[in-house]
Amino acid sequence: MTNESPVIELKNLTKVYQNGVEFRALDNANLRIEKGEFVAIVGPSGSGKSTLMHLIGLLDSPSSGTLLIDGKDVTKMSDKERSGMRNSILGFVFQYHHLLPDFTALENVMMPLLIAGKSREKAKNVAEELLKEVGLEGRMDHRPGELSGGQNQRVAIARALSCSPSIVLGDEPTGNLDTKTGDMIYELLRRLNKEYNQTFIVVTHNEELASKADKIIRLVDGKITVQ
Amino acid sequence: MSYELLIALRQLRARKFQTLLSVGAIALAVMVLTVSHSLLAGFTGELYNTTVEKLPHVSVSPEEGEDYIYLYGTLIERISSIEGVTAISPFLTGQASFKFKDNSLNCELRGTVPSQENQISSIEEDMVEGSFQELDFSRNTVVIGSKLAEKLKVNLGDSVDVSFPNANPLSLRVVGIFHTGSPLDESLAYTSLKTAQQFYDVSDVVNGVSVRLRDFNNDRKVANEIEEVGYNAKGWTETDPAILHTIAIESTSNTVLYGLIVVVASFGVVSTLNLSVIGARGQIGMLRAMGAQVSGIQRIFILQSGILGLLGALFGTFTGVLISLAIGQYEVPADPSDAYGSISFIPIVVHPQYILSIILAVFLLNLITGVYPARQAAKIDPIKAISSK
Ligand SMILES: Nc1ncnc2c1ncn2[C@@H]1O[C@H](COP(=O)(O)OP(=O)(O)OP(=O)(O)O)[C@@H](O)[C@H]1O
Ligand SMILES: [Mg+2]
Repeated sequence: MTNESPVIELKNLTKVYQNGVEFRALDNANLRIEKGEFVAIVGPSGSGKSTLMHLIGLLDSPSSGTLLIDGKDVTKMSDKERSGMRNSILGFVFQYHHLLPDFTALENVMMPLLIAGKSREKAKNVAEELLKEVGLEGRMDHRPGELSGGQNQRVAIARALSCSPSIVLGDEPTGNLDTKTGDMIYELLRRLNKEYNQTFIVVTHNEELASKADKIIRLVDGKITVQ
Repeated sequence: MSYELLIALRQLRARKFQTLLSVGAIALAVMVLTVSHSLLAGFTGELYNTTVEKLPHVSVSPEEGEDYIYLYGTLIERISSIEGVTAISPFLTGQASFKFKDNSLNCELRGTVPSQENQISSIEEDMVEGSFQELDFSRNTVVIGSKLAEKLKVNLGDSVDVSFPNANPLSLRVVGIFHTGSPLDESLAYTSLKTAQQFYDVSDVVNGVSVRLRDFNNDRKVANEIEEVGYNAKGWTETDPAILHTIAIESTSNTVLYGLIVVVASFGVVSTLNLSVIGARGQIGMLRAMGAQVSGIQRIFILQSGILGLLGALFGTFTGVLISLAIGQYEVPADPSDAYGSISFIPIVVHPQYILSIILAVFLLNLITGVYPARQAAKIDPIKAISSK
């Protein structure tokens, strides 16, 4: 595995915000993440965890430095190419699920596949499979308003996995849930990671959860201190 | 079905009340536009029928430098061979002074072949007393307009003295009175061609030929063909352009007015959609994260606007046509005032191609107005949208 090129590689990746004063939200980050790794990102509030996630997730562009995904330099890509990559090789779970309220759980999970241009039939089969995987086989036709916070977050996880991404990003996916539900979600992510051998990068404030990861990345003031 | 259309339809369904309101507003405006157009089209059609139909569609006058058409028999034969000509009426017309007891008045005295002239002007429909055909049966007879009769104080059967410098004075018996509701009632009198030739002291000649066409829109084409023979010929659109003007101005001002109402209704959709963009910030951010392109997000809102417009246009034209047809069924007896001649009911004409163009235009208009909310949606920063609840 060590001979393979890493799934994600950061070289001096820097994000500077310039609203009057210059602010280095991410400062010269260097990092390699291998295929199938489960990585936890920890650090105090404002240390740049989300900034790092948005950069890896191709939602934001770095101010300087290089980001390689599957060996490809993604920093110079057009919006169209980045959108395509977000759809095909990245999956997202955020603190708020942002499920489409007018669609059922099943339809929400189908959505990334429909965006990819897959047929409804194909999308439905995949989505049903994934909802079973996260333990929601009985709730497929419910809308987000009819589901609990934990259930909605599980739908969001199924949605993140629907296009079989090679990288799944979770920015405090358990941050909005009670401890018990949060632990369950974390366990689910860990299990899926082992099952599908996808790379997981998860931001968490919970040290105990982080300790179960393959690798822990600590951020302080935009700098990676330990990895 | 694309995901954009799927989301657009679902959001419209979820906002039932606003959707209903938007569609209703557009439908109402489109309905008013449809009904007004049907009325206007029927009305102008009727106006054409009552005025243009009674006009000679093409008027032939003598060659340059000549006062008369000498070989009018040959000319009539030539004209009758032209495609689309349905009636031809030669006439000899000029000024004459009418005198009855102490009253006298000048007006046009037109000698015609009554049966042929009637095919041009349908004057028999306007007869209020006597008979137009009587001109054919007895010599030295005249048919005059109602206003002229009133001013001269003549009645059916009275004889009026007709004279003019260089003309042979005659005494003509009034055998008919017509009422058209136009100025002709005071300025025109008919007699037979023979009588007119005798009065103006000429041989068997005419100074004009009226032509009626199957389709009065071909007037200039036929006029050109006749001119090739060497005579002067003019279509009604050249001789009476004022009629066209009146009709055109009325129709455009109405269409513009009601078109504006439709635009206003469509802009109502913009504010509704802008609100829904704000409400869907998080979802839009998430869709972007899932790989939707900016153009896809824009399409979701342009489609919503377009669908609202299309539904509004369909309902509006549907109810508009129903109402128009209902009005058309109702032959409301209107006051046959002089202003509009003999229109005595509300005529309705529904043009299918006009209905189709309303639907298309409103749909396109709403696609365009949808660009504004779509832009708002495109401007949303996915990171900020995702990070907030
Ligand atoms: N758009 C922006 N403009 C200016 N500064 C920003 C912007 N976004 C983030 N920052 C700053 O960058 C720093 C890092 O933010 P980031 O969201 O990455 O922190 P975080 O580690 O995710 O914190 P938290 O645990 O609270 O989520 C913060 O100090 C924040 O104020
Ligand atoms: Mg954060």
